[in-house]
Amino acid sequence: MAMTVPRPEMTLAEKAYLPEIVKGLKLTLGHLARGLFHPETLPVLNYPEIQPEVPRDYRAQHRLMKRPDGEPRCVACFMCSTACPANCIHIQAMESADDRIEKKPAKFEIDLLVCVFCGLCVEACPVDAIRMDTRKVALAADSREKFKVGLKDLLDWNPSDYPTTDTQSQKAPGGTLNEQARKEWGLA
Amino acid sequence: MIQLDLPFLLQCGKFLLAFVPLCLIPINIFMERKGASLIQDRFGPNRANIPLLGGIRLFGFVQNLPDGIKLFTKESFIPKGAHKAWYLVAPMIPLTIALLTPSVIPWFAPMAVEGTRGLVQMSGQILDADAGVLVLFALSGLSVYGVVLGAWASNSKYALLGGMRASAQMISYEVSMGLSAAGIFVLAGSFSLTRIVEWQGSNPLHWGIVLQPVGFVLFLTAMFAETGRPPFDMAEGESEIVAGYLMEYSAMRFGLYYMGEYAHIAIASALVSTLFLGGYHMPFLGTEALRSNLGQVAAGVLAVFGILSGLVAWAVRRWQRIYATRGGSDIAARKREHGILFGIFAVLAAVLFAAAVAAATSAHPAQVQIDGVWAWPLRVNLGAALLQLGVLVAKTLCICWVFIWVRWTLPRFRYDQVMFLGWKVLLNIALLNLLATAVVAKLAKG
Repeated sequence: MAMTVPRPEMTLAEKAYLPEIVKGLKLTLGHLARGLFHPETLPVLNYPEIQPEVPRDYRAQHRLMKRPDGEPRCVACFMCSTACPANCIHIQAMESADDRIEKKPAKFEIDLLVCVFCGLCVEACPVDAIRMDTRKVALAADSREKFKVGLKDLLDWNPSDYPTTDTQSQKAPGGTLNEQARKEWGLA
Repeated sequence: MIQLDLPFLLQCGKFLLAFVPLCLIPINIFMERKGASLIQDRFGPNRANIPLLGGIRLFGFVQNLPDGIKLFTKESFIPKGAHKAWYLVAPMIPLTIALLTPSVIPWFAPMAVEGTRGLVQMSGQILDADAGVLVLFALSGLSVYGVVLGAWASNSKYALLGGMRASAQMISYEVSMGLSAAGIFVLAGSFSLTRIVEWQGSNPLHWGIVLQPVGFVLFLTAMFAETGRPPFDMAEGESEIVAGYLMEYSAMRFGLYYMGEYAHIAIASALVSTLFLGGYHMPFLGTEALRSNLGQVAAGVLAVFGILSGLVAWAVRRWQRIYATRGGSDIAARKREHGILFGIFAVLAAVLFAAAVAAATSAHPAQVQIDGVWAWPLRVNLGAALLQLGVLVAKTLCICWVFIWVRWTLPRFRYDQVMFLGWKVLLNIALLNLLATAVVAKLAKG
């Protein structure tokens, strides 16, 4: 059914245009005065001297979690690379020396230039091995090759940078609060 | 034979006034960028600095330097199929015109100085033509040639469309511009800009803006269109014709067009100030009053500038505190820069106040009689001329700010709206205004 959208009738002052211009000029002058006399209220950061505060749950560059013995939690199941809509995760699996675990990644490479930072790999991981909570959002490098991060880069993080109260993920398989994992790794 | 006496040298010196709009270009660009950013709630350019001078940024004013260097060093590209000669000549036209037009603006009141062969009358214009304002209109209308020629020579459809639009717009608004200024000519009874300014006098209630308010608004609007500034920037248009007539231009040729535009704004503002804002007159202070009280007036002006420098110094202190609370890795550099700026402006304020005291207490020379006419000595004339030049430049800068302010407030018109406004609204109002002015002027004069 066709519907007529009524156009708002303009008043005489609006048709004359000039009063409206004066209103607009007053508005912009107000913003100018704000910037001149109260620059501290402007929603602007002096980047890069002042970095923005990135929330912990912001989808940033990935990291790989470790088991209590320091090895990557990843079991090379290819779930993340299958879920990845950008096809940016490239994994090569190899047999694990640990007989409790079948496979481990020989190569785990993420091309950050191809990544769309959707977080589906994090959702897909059955053992909570991959996370995107590094808060590294401003990525820079001088060649494309340097944007391909491997196992070494993904495992290179400092535990003191991350909160210890993250109980939800520690209950995942391989986490320190998971009953079965505690038993497996002899954590009592 | 030309005699190298003082009035002749002064006449030569007056040619320096042609560079006033050129000097206003960097100020205009600074105002535009900073005004735009503050209106949009951001800081604007503030990164460019001079490392040799303690990393001084001067609130972003230094940005003009790297912009200029960039424009000069970029590749100057000539597109395939362009008409080479016209393509190279076209960008020079707008700036050349903008440097010619100040010749008819009266920058200070006519003065009488003593030459070797008696009293010499000298006006504040470089070219004291009776048809002064007509010369200005003619020259200012010529600047669209640069746009159209460059657009055509570029061999690009978008550029050509932009050029056509610019010329159509120029034709439409030139009519209303002339007619809206005609009210002033009727009242002043002259085309000579010096006569028009003298007729307005120093009383703001007798200025063009009070006697011809409609004419003022129309003239200002026509000037927006004439300079091709938003909301009338039909010659450009990202969504329709990309960069319009500028599309194929790069490097300093592009820069010349931009300098031409800003110089055009400066000269248009000077014209508006001259026709409607009393020109070089200080409010409530006529030329004679200014010359006989030059010391006190200069003291007052210097004191005002001293207060302004003091305010800037205070503002710098305030910004320093704000920066300190925000932190950041460059806090030491910013603190040093703010210290330098605060020092400069504090010293400047002190110097200005000292100069004000000196000016107020200095002895004022008496009038001298030359050829039976009482005239002021040269230094009084020159001092008054300098103050009046400053007043006109201040008025010009205010109008320049209005140009910028309007640009960042109003959305741009559609092309048919521009034509509608020009031919069906402004032209009619201008005609009615001229008619009413003529009738009233005739009745009042009897």
